[in-house]
Amino acid sequence: MTAAVRRRAGLRELGLGLALPFVLVVIWEAAGRAGVVPQGILPAPSLVAAAWRDWAFADPGLGLNPYLGTWGETVLFSARRVFTGFVCAILIGVPMGIMIGWNRMVAGAVDPLIQSLRPIPITAWLPFAIAVFGIRDAGAVFLIALGAFFPIVVNATAGARDVPRNLIRAARMMGANERQLLLRVVLPAALPNIFTGMRLGLGIAWTAVIVAEIVAVKSGLGYVLWDAYYVGRMDVVIADMVSIGIAGFLSDRVLVAVQLRVLHWKQAVRA
Amino acid sequence: MTDAVAIRGLRKVFEGRAGAVEALAAIDMTLAEGEFACILGPSGCGKSTLLNVIAGFEAPTEGSASVFGAPVSAPGPDRAVVFQEASLFPWLSVRDNVTFGPRMLGRPKDETDALARRFLDLVGLSGFEHHLPDQLSGGMKQRVGIARCLILNPRVYLMDEPFGALDAQTRMQMQELLTHVWDQARGTVLFITHDIDEAIFLADTVYVMTARPGRMRSRIAIELPRPRSIDLLTDPRFNALRADILRQIREEAIKAMAEEERARR
Ligand SMILES: Nc1ncnc2c1ncn2[C@@H]1O[C@H](COP(=O)(O)OP(=O)(O)O)[C@@H](O)[C@H]1O
Ligand SMILES: [Mg+2]
Repeated sequence: MTAAVRRRAGLRELGLGLALPFVLVVIWEAAGRAGVVPQGILPAPSLVAAAWRDWAFADPGLGLNPYLGTWGETVLFSARRVFTGFVCAILIGVPMGIMIGWNRMVAGAVDPLIQSLRPIPITAWLPFAIAVFGIRDAGAVFLIALGAFFPIVVNATAGARDVPRNLIRAARMMGANERQLLLRVVLPAALPNIFTGMRLGLGIAWTAVIVAEIVAVKSGLGYVLWDAYYVGRMDVVIADMVSIGIAGFLSDRVLVAVQLRVLHWKQAVRA
Repeated sequence: MTDAVAIRGLRKVFEGRAGAVEALAAIDMTLAEGEFACILGPSGCGKSTLLNVIAGFEAPTEGSASVFGAPVSAPGPDRAVVFQEASLFPWLSVRDNVTFGPRMLGRPKDETDALARRFLDLVGLSGFEHHLPDQLSGGMKQRVGIARCLILNPRVYLMDEPFGALDAQTRMQMQELLTHVWDQARGTVLFITHDIDEAIFLADTVYVMTARPGRMRSRIAIELPRPRSIDLLTDPRFNALRADILRQIREEAIKAMAEEERARR
């Protein structure tokens, strides 16, 4: 297939994918204008767009209306928490998973604990997080890190455990010591699994940040979501929901771009 | 002079869930320095187990293996191994696969890169330094596997059916390449195969193993002139050796079948 043909096929697919959402938005708008749905519950897309524009760009003035010109900082609050928690989850989950997958002693000592904590939903940790960290950033970051940690550690464990035996043997016969074996063989061999875990973890991180901000802190997309609902600003609620979706989607794309780069050897044959 | 490889009373039993498997029973053998030895034997007779003990991958149940007088306790770059499936690191370029060993020992990169070029040239892979293993054919991967052993400058080469998975034509090319490389690099080689022609073509000595549990059945000196070429395959001396070895192997195969019958009853 030539590049031009492929591009045209891609465009056609994109057009097909956009058709259904477009139709739904048009029906939603029409229903709103016709007065079929009460605008206080489900405001029409045009009203949501206007509220969003004000939320993003309007002059905050004296700051009495929290939905004027505060969108950017709100997104940043949430994104920063996700980033911090996610990085913590990677820094703890990857080495721990590698060690569990590599060393039977470590597996015996640590894996049962991880497996017994894993079924506890992230929402069930909320009171604990607030009790320990209070109404502060640390509680939200803890929750995010915890949520992202489990898929990362589990996948890193599987990756480290399934390194082909002859790759380990080859490295040993070439003189690699234990540390080199872990860093130069086990880690790179486990990276495809680790990226799978990170993508799952990032999805959970966005869930965790919204839950944490609804309950435990007073800023970010989750806080605004609940606060706007309380004051009856459903237009802002919907704009907030879409913002969360876009943020989650974009952060996943960034992670995939990093993955394609780091695991370039996996794509080599196709290229 | 100390033997390059000395195996004394080697026995290996695998304790599995389905009971114990005696892979090797009382192996005694020695390889002289610079000897190219091929081991022939039916599948499952313990050839790989023997090689893995010498490599330090498996511990013997009884007896010992020593290399130049030192008892084997762990794998090391003095005993280079070529595996049947090349077992290259798929995330490293051909060059970085070859330099892996010396890099682990802390040798500087410019030095090891120059060495890699030399050995890749020797195995006919210059120009492929920056390819990834998955972009190479099976024969080329094995050549990388050989180059990463050559760069270690080991005292012993251990090769476990390195050409077993290749098609007949590639295998023949690889055999010629290996004799050519060996004529330059020398070193002691233990080469496992189940291909009789391959064994005669490559070896100074051919060891025929019995069916499991593996023992040494016989040792046959191959006194054919070197350097060897494919023309040798039609030499009458080659044919005489092949007939002799084939007879021994057939006897072993019949014994193995009888053994299996008895075990099943
Ligand atoms: N790790 C192991 N655990 C249990 N049995 C094994 C193991 N490795 C090899 N064996 C058994 O030992 C015997 C010899 O195996 P191997 O040395 O691989 O034979 P060969 O290389 O001659 O085909 C076989 O019956 C095999 O099933
Ligand atoms: Mg074998």
